[in-house]
Amino acid sequence: MQNGITKTSVRTLFLVLLIYLPIQYAAVGVVGYYDAEPWPAFVFPGFKSVYVYGDGFEITRTVFDVETLHRQRSYDMSPQELFPEIPLSQIPGFVRTHFSDEEAVQSISREGAEWLRDKSADIAGFEPHAMHIIELTEQYIHTESGPRLQMALETGRITILF
Amino acid sequence: MSLKDSFDNRIFNTFSASAEGLALLRIFSAIFILFFLIPGSGMSHFAYLSTLPADFYAPPPGPLRLMESFPSLSFFQVVHTVLILSLLAMLLGYHTRWASVTVGLTILILQGFIYSVGKVNHEIVVPLVPLVMAFSNWGAAFSVDAWRNKFSIKPESWPVMVLAIFIAFMMFTAGFPKILGGWLDPSTQAAQGHLFNQFFIRERQALLAGWAAGFDHVIFWEILDWATVLFEIGFIVALCKASWFRFFTGLAVLFHFSTMMTLNIAFLPNFLAYAVFLNWDKFYNSVHSFYSKRTGMRGEKSARKTHYMITGIFILLLLPVQWMSSRNLGLSNSDLMLHEFVLVTAAFVLVLFLALQKTVRLFTAESSD
Repeated sequence: MQNGITKTSVRTLFLVLLIYLPIQYAAVGVVGYYDAEPWPAFVFPGFKSVYVYGDGFEITRTVFDVETLHRQRSYDMSPQELFPEIPLSQIPGFVRTHFSDEEAVQSISREGAEWLRDKSADIAGFEPHAMHIIELTEQYIHTESGPRLQMALETGRITILF
Repeated sequence: MSLKDSFDNRIFNTFSASAEGLALLRIFSAIFILFFLIPGSGMSHFAYLSTLPADFYAPPPGPLRLMESFPSLSFFQVVHTVLILSLLAMLLGYHTRWASVTVGLTILILQGFIYSVGKVNHEIVVPLVPLVMAFSNWGAAFSVDAWRNKFSIKPESWPVMVLAIFIAFMMFTAGFPKILGGWLDPSTQAAQGHLFNQFFIRERQALLAGWAAGFDHVIFWEILDWATVLFEIGFIVALCKASWFRFFTGLAVLFHFSTMMTLNIAFLPNFLAYAVFLNWDKFYNSVHSFYSKRTGMRGEKSARKTHYMITGIFILLLLPVQWMSSRNLGLSNSDLMLHEFVLVTAAFVLVLFLALQKTVRLFTAESSD
């Protein structure tokens, strides 16, 4: 062959590839379990979660609620509203990474908190005193006219004071 | 046949490639990436990333952990500019191999930072296609390199097999977790659950999403669960024959079309990889013979004109789609972009056409026997 690529080097490449791909997949699983999905990696999304059980299904959403002191004014916004430039496909992962546990939220720096305050103030139209990151679990049931919300429960709340 | 011969046969001869066919693929890929697949879809996304506080820099495990925050906007501007210039070089076939490799690497860099907000998207096929196909000598025809007679080398088809292995394996990685996650359990309907999740949480409610959300038929959704898993796992088996792999690629297009219509997810990056498995040689030969018949022109000149004509058609078809999509014309109730809808639908129609053509040919052959 030409351009310095011999048949032997192509054969070697294929053998390396056939060994490497399963190993990297195993590594993605292990690293993903203990830390986060590594990148670059040669995997497609698994979408393995199952949300539908019996005659209903359950989904979880996050709401950012900002308020003034003594809650004279408040405003609820979706993650998409607060982070408009983050693609919708990345929003759930972004929220899970940065806002799903107390420790991660409380470790947000002064600069980070001010950024959140300024962005949410622009949207809400007032200077917020606090931001509540609320996790809502919604249960839907199937009806003849389509899925209907049966119950919405607040299953988590983390607060940032500005 | 010895094991070595059999292995050689599989990697070197499963797919065939001509210089002209590969050149068309190169031109199509460059235009497709240039118009639709540049990471971030414009500088505003990178401007946003560069203003995010370091708190929100959460790179995935890998090389991007060497950084502590998002780079400045000027860094993104430089990488973006290098990407555009490399794409133009790839399109024109100027130092094609280096241009293709640079396209792949710059896309990897931009994608890496986009995914450093805490969520990786699975679009690695976009850089993978130019990186792998760089070694197919897809600049051997209809290129500045060929014109300057810089190299006169034969095209290689083994990179197409490399891509096939990547795609089949990555499809397997999509199917395998579904088995572990319970997609094959008849008491749960996973595809329906994902539909609800997209419909209610992400508000992806365009096209047939509303109808699908109201379609509560357990057997239908369960069949869909099984079909999805079998299709994704089955890609590995399809590596045995080029025709099987093309068949599965066609199924993939149908799968993505149905996903787009119901979940409003297009997976457009995958279509760049699927396009590699189109029969570009046949496409070139058909257009060339049509052009030769119409103009009476023969030889090198006719080949060159055919190439200009096909490039022009690609641009004329894709540019208006890109232009309309960039102005947010079209879809509402979803984040699905107009170009995604148009291109995935066009691919769907093409697959139906090819399937019909194949069926007619099969019937004609049978009746003549």
